[in-house]
Amino acid sequence: MKNLKNLDKMTNEGVDNCSVEERRHFLKMGLTVTGVFAGGTILSAVSSVNKVYASTSGFVEKYPYKPHYSMIMHIENCIDCEKCKSACAETNGVPSYGFRTNILERQVAGALDQQREFIPVLCNHCNLAQCTRVCPTKATYKDPNNGIVMMNIEKCIGCLSCQLGCPYNARYFNEEKWAVDKCTFCWESRLSKGAKTTGCSEACPAGVRIFGDLSNPSDRVYKEVHQMTKTVWVLRPQAGTKPNVFYTRG
Amino acid sequence: MRLILTTILCSSIFLLAGAATTLAEGDYPEDIYYMKPVIGVVFSHQLHVEDNGMDCDSCHDGIFEMEARLAENEESFTMAGLADGEFCGACHDGDTAYDANTRCTTCHVGVIGYSRAHGLVNEEGPAHH
Ligand code: HEC
Ligand code: HEC
Ligand code: HEC
Repeated sequence: MKNLKNLDKMTNEGVDNCSVEERRHFLKMGLTVTGVFAGGTILSAVSSVNKVYASTSGFVEKYPYKPHYSMIMHIENCIDCEKCKSACAETNGVPSYGFRTNILERQVAGALDQQREFIPVLCNHCNLAQCTRVCPTKATYKDPNNGIVMMNIEKCIGCLSCQLGCPYNARYFNEEKWAVDKCTFCWESRLSKGAKTTGCSEACPAGVRIFGDLSNPSDRVYKEVHQMTKTVWVLRPQAGTKPNVFYTRG
Repeated sequence: MRLILTTILCSSIFLLAGAATTLAEGDYPEDIYYMKPVIGVVFSHQLHVEDNGMDCDSCHDGIFEMEARLAENEESFTMAGLADGEFCGACHDGDTAYDANTRCTTCHVGVIGYSRAHGLVNEEGPAHH
């Protein structure tokens, strides 16, 4: 799994290496600094997702979906108990060889306090999803209302183009369905039936997975993404897909 | 708490005085992995006894029995219980040792850590491939 390995090695050095001046500079441009990647060379600001994830409430109308489902991960609390994975499997009938969400482990070199960090991953429900673009049969598509990346298994021909196109390794082939299967933020199993959160989020005993509406200023996810005091970042910003899963510490 | 601290201090002095050799390998059990309420909390005798010079009594005189995973049966074997000073929380209170409410992954090695320690994984990661 090439994707998984690369993701594992990725480092975000946080905003500690980013001066206050620099941060202010970015703030003035209406951007949120999301961390310093790769030896301080790149400031991954929300610039890459500029129009969608601007840092001021004035931009709320620009969220393309309503609600705009999103998740923010408080990764310092992740203990890899995998209750999220079990809940997900149970809720969505995920077989033992597959996964709709996963936990990655990263060894933190030279850290005095913690030598390892766990990183929960799932479909990022990207605004500019590559999977839906490369699917030859439109079996995978963005829901026009809430932006969830869905699967129509009737149309799936199992070519796995979507799997190759996904920067987040969020898809697996389900042999029983004979189709690709993936996270849908529990749309079929929960949200469409009125539940307010996903199975994984509800099962997490450590408050890691916060699910909500990125377009709603009174929502916790909105508040945590649109602030300046704590670093918020996305995985693989360079893929340019405008992901909707955010990460933070503290 | 002071009592425990004193015990730890005394035992380290004792060890420093040259008695460390009396703790031959195998004098204390191998790492214990807790599975309840969550999978993958590790307790290492080596780390506590050998590296930090604690004697057996600092834990086995009221905090823990000498039987692996007995504590799992207790309702207060949770983070809340620890915060109330039970079990690991008797020391991991930010005073005698770092607070159990910090540095989560020192104790929690998770399903991945558990699987690795028990040879259940290949290099790629835990068993979902
Ligand atoms: C820092 C605390 C601590 C210290 C110090 C300590 N132990 Fe333990 N010991 C534990 C814990 C925790 C357990 C597991 C109890 C449980 O799970 O309920 C345990 C369990 C044991 C067990 C049972 C293991 C098994 O596999 O069933 C033995 C034997 C034991 N300890 C011997 C010792 C001896 C001998 C020493 C001194 C050299 C010592 N311990 C020092 C915390 C400690
Ligand atoms: C008698 C006191 C005492 C008890 C009880 C105790 N510890 Fe510790 N522990 C210490 C001390 C002292 C240290 C080393 C000092 C420090 O790191 O703050 C330590 C260090 C550790 C470390 C090493 C962290 C690192 O630096 O990598 C781990 C992990 C740990 N303890 C886990 C546990 C767990 C799990 C339990 C309960 C099952 C437990 N301890 C119970 C006193 C205790
Ligand atoms: C000093 C060791 C230690 C540290 C540090 C620690 N834990 Fe725990 N944790 C335990 C032990 C022991 C248990 C009970 C045994 C088990 O569940 O396997 C536990 C259980 C849990 C549980 C399940 C029971 C409950 O309370 O809900 C959660 C969730 C949890 N820890 C989260 C965390 C988080 C989050 C952090 C960091 C903020 C953390 N832990 C830090 C030792 C530790």
